[in-house]
Amino acid sequence: MNIAWPIYRRMAEAFPHEFKLAFGDEMMQAGEDSIGEVAKRHGAAGVIRLLADLALRLPLEYLSEMHRDMQYAARSLAKSPSYALVGVLSLALGIGLTTNVYTQAWALLVRTLPGVANPNQLVTAETPASYPYIERYRDQKDLFTGVAAVQNNVQFNVALPGQSGKPDRVYGQLVSPDYFSILGMEPQRGRLLNADLDKIGVTPAVVISDRYWRSHFNADPEVIGQIIRLNGQNATIVGVTPAKFDGALTPTPAEIFVSLTVPATLAPELGDDVLHNRNLKPFQLLMRLAPGVNIDSAESALDGITRRLDKDDPLAPSQADKAKRLVLMGAGTRVQVPRDLRPKILGFYTFLMAIIIAIACLNLATMALARGTGRRKELAIRLGVGASRFRLIRQMVTEGILLSLIGGAAGFAMAYALGALAAHTRLPAGSPLNPDRSIDWHTAMFAFALAIACGIGFSILPALQATKTDVAPALKQGTAVQLSGHKLFGLRNLAMGAQVSGSLLLLLVTGFLVLGILKSNSVQTNFNPKTMAFLFIDPVRDGYSPERSQTFFEQLPDRLRSSSAVTSFALAVQPPYLPGDDEDFHLTVDDPHSSSPVQKGVMKETVGAGFFAVISQSLLAGREFDERDQRLNIDPTSQGAGQSLPLILNQKAAHALFGGSSAVGKHLRGDRQEYEVVGVVPDMKDASGMTQGIAYLPLTRHDFAQPPSGGIVIVARGHSAEDAIGGVRTLVASMDPNLTLFNVQTLSEYLELIRAAMRSALRTFGGIGLFGLILSAVGLAGVTGYAVAQRRKEIGIRMALGARKSQVLGLVLREGATLIAVGTVAGFLGAVALAKAMSAITTAFSDAFSLGVGDPRLLIGAPLLLAGLALLACYIPASRAMAIDPLKALRQE
Amino acid sequence: MTEARIQSFIPLKTQWFHIMLSLAAGEQHGYGIMQDVLDRTTGKVRLWPATLYGSLKRLIEADLIEESKKRPAPEEDDARRRYYRLTTLGKCVLDAECERLQELVRAIQTTRAVATQRG
Repeated sequence: MNIAWPIYRRMAEAFPHEFKLAFGDEMMQAGEDSIGEVAKRHGAAGVIRLLADLALRLPLEYLSEMHRDMQYAARSLAKSPSYALVGVLSLALGIGLTTNVYTQAWALLVRTLPGVANPNQLVTAETPASYPYIERYRDQKDLFTGVAAVQNNVQFNVALPGQSGKPDRVYGQLVSPDYFSILGMEPQRGRLLNADLDKIGVTPAVVISDRYWRSHFNADPEVIGQIIRLNGQNATIVGVTPAKFDGALTPTPAEIFVSLTVPATLAPELGDDVLHNRNLKPFQLLMRLAPGVNIDSAESALDGITRRLDKDDPLAPSQADKAKRLVLMGAGTRVQVPRDLRPKILGFYTFLMAIIIAIACLNLATMALARGTGRRKELAIRLGVGASRFRLIRQMVTEGILLSLIGGAAGFAMAYALGALAAHTRLPAGSPLNPDRSIDWHTAMFAFALAIACGIGFSILPALQATKTDVAPALKQGTAVQLSGHKLFGLRNLAMGAQVSGSLLLLLVTGFLVLGILKSNSVQTNFNPKTMAFLFIDPVRDGYSPERSQTFFEQLPDRLRSSSAVTSFALAVQPPYLPGDDEDFHLTVDDPHSSSPVQKGVMKETVGAGFFAVISQSLLAGREFDERDQRLNIDPTSQGAGQSLPLILNQKAAHALFGGSSAVGKHLRGDRQEYEVVGVVPDMKDASGMTQGIAYLPLTRHDFAQPPSGGIVIVARGHSAEDAIGGVRTLVASMDPNLTLFNVQTLSEYLELIRAAMRSALRTFGGIGLFGLILSAVGLAGVTGYAVAQRRKEIGIRMALGARKSQVLGLVLREGATLIAVGTVAGFLGAVALAKAMSAITTAFSDAFSLGVGDPRLLIGAPLLLAGLALLACYIPASRAMAIDPLKALRQE
Repeated sequence: MTEARIQSFIPLKTQWFHIMLSLAAGEQHGYGIMQDVLDRTTGKVRLWPATLYGSLKRLIEADLIEESKKRPAPEEDDARRRYYRLTTLGKCVLDAECERLQELVRAIQTTRAVATQRG
């Protein structure tokens, strides 16, 4: 009893205000009266029952209040449909765009891989490693519970059972058999790869992804045990991965998982004795940290081991000793980001999302503030009849939340539509499939939480402001009462200024990105792009032996020359204009007189004879590769046989390595191989707009015997691209009808698709900028409109006293113009500072920013556009003020 | 007052029925209703305070009861107490519910009488 009464009182006091107003006293008294009697009659159980009744009723009463609030809010919104419409629209745009950014970025950077146990324990190294090193890492049982080797984006020619015609090209991963056990994954069907079963010498087993199973086997439960042809060899499907899993360590989906214990005849990537050769580093590491080991200690331990291993190898290039040999990063998400870069990238996206939402909220807040002024009479009446201030605030916040929830639903629908649009964007042929960025319940939760936060966020301050009312004057004068806050730094002015500057900041930052992307995407060709086509071919994966493949490629040029449809051609590993390989290729100037040799990292491209002639690119100096170079038989894995390979540098690389002096004839070392510079070409922009230092290596017999994973591309020109395609097809078919030509595409198609892929990024960023523009215009118009309505009487008096229309216009516009000017300056400075800061802290944006920032169209145009639009938004209500009839305005009171 | 409106409350929730039955005799305040129900059911049904006042609130919202302006003699009156009485709709609903319960009792009696005769 002694303890129960204070608890009872506390709980009774916690009931909603309205409820307490009607029943509070009585409930208190009833409790006081009955608590002793209950204790006497039912004992402790009775008292507990009494308190439980209160505890159960408490949330119910609040829910019922909320329900009433919602009904009231719906009615009140229905009464001002234009406010509701603009509000829902801005919130839909704000929440939709934020959710879209969230799905785009978060799905890749934050969401953990599906079907994987404890993804936070997974780590990988930033650089690939050789298999013998990986075996040594695997011995560190105290650091890792497992270390797998993974080769990404491996393409296979796959023929399904009963498939007639040419095989399909499928992206997959070549993995050590412990891959799935390290991921801690359970199969959806059958079994996964397994170190005990998938040994060297047993029948090759493959695991297919859930996606591939659905798309190619129609989710057939009988798929296990089926035999498929993989690069011309038999392999058995043993299992299907869990739903949605399509590979770790890869941003692009893998559809097929093959153990690296299969013979090199099946996977040519395993040639060159790659599992025992410490000079080849094709494998990425997938490691699971042992319990209690953190990533820093694992990194320093592995770094030490790598250092010792390097020391044992006399041929390893000497490295600056302080530099880390091995840097670890988390591997539990789809895209891996170096640990130091991760917070910056996430920070950028968070900032972007925050500013979008802030603008939407500010917009609504200014409208709600203005609306609060219009509702002063209503609010005063309710305060007068006994509603608490808290109650009114809650009512207004409920209105905000309701508006926000409707906006959130519309925004979610918009994000869904944008996501579907992105998923259906066609990619250039030969690109892997789109990664799965579909919207899931995480996203829905995010949008919902965002909507609630917005609803509270934008309505709380205006509600506080609006309910700060003296009842008597408000009742007397109604809406026309002079707001106390006509101050320069009033809440409304601050909100408006912040909104203008935020919108401009958004417009400029996204504008920088858009312009940067646009500029970078204008690939210039020296010829008509409609005359060129690419055709990929890969005889080894069609079942050729290395020798037969070599012979084929040696005969191909002569045969192509005889074709009338093909006017010029070249072979290469990559089609021209494609963004370069990310892998750095280190070249060192071979200068016996220098104590500190110049070493530079450049991009590596492998091109065949006549490559530059086909793309009509003349050389600055020296010669380009010819067919003699193509016949060189140098195995890049052998320890530098003393023969040097010819090499062509682009201007940027030549300048970096040799400064002003001529590069032709100079010698270089790289990858244990001697090179002699035979030519220099001008820098060419690739499709991502960057000009990097590039070293062009010749295509050699080794590449023909063992084409890289993407095959070899025939770059052919004819009178038209279609002619060239037809010519090559006929010719290859005449040499061997069983050879597959894949990813066949004209250059213009290819460029168009690259642009299309970039356009989705443009749409997002451009949409965000435009959104800021529209919202701030709408907000300004709304607020100025309310201001005019509020000052009707004042304007009426001024006009009655003889004020000219232009003076009235100036009066109304002056306030708006000041806000716009202040906001524009702040936003402009903010955007430039932000762009500079972003470029400084990370290179990820610097290219786009540096291309966009200097553009005068944007720097002058965007502020002018925004200011112009904002002024127009103010002008419309202001011109309405001019039409006020002084007689009517005065009579109204 | 349509029949449909009355029928929409039938069957009545137990607490509502007890409260309305207590008010059938005349105006009563919340604590009085609680005591009345306890006495009437010999302590079997107890309307706990929060349930009681929550139900009163909903009964008022449903227009089945209303606050009464009539108060007892000043010496018996407690200013904090509010008195409630049935509305016309409330009376009709209570009648309809009583009718339903009586029919139920009649049905039970008939069935059991037949069963006893056969047994």
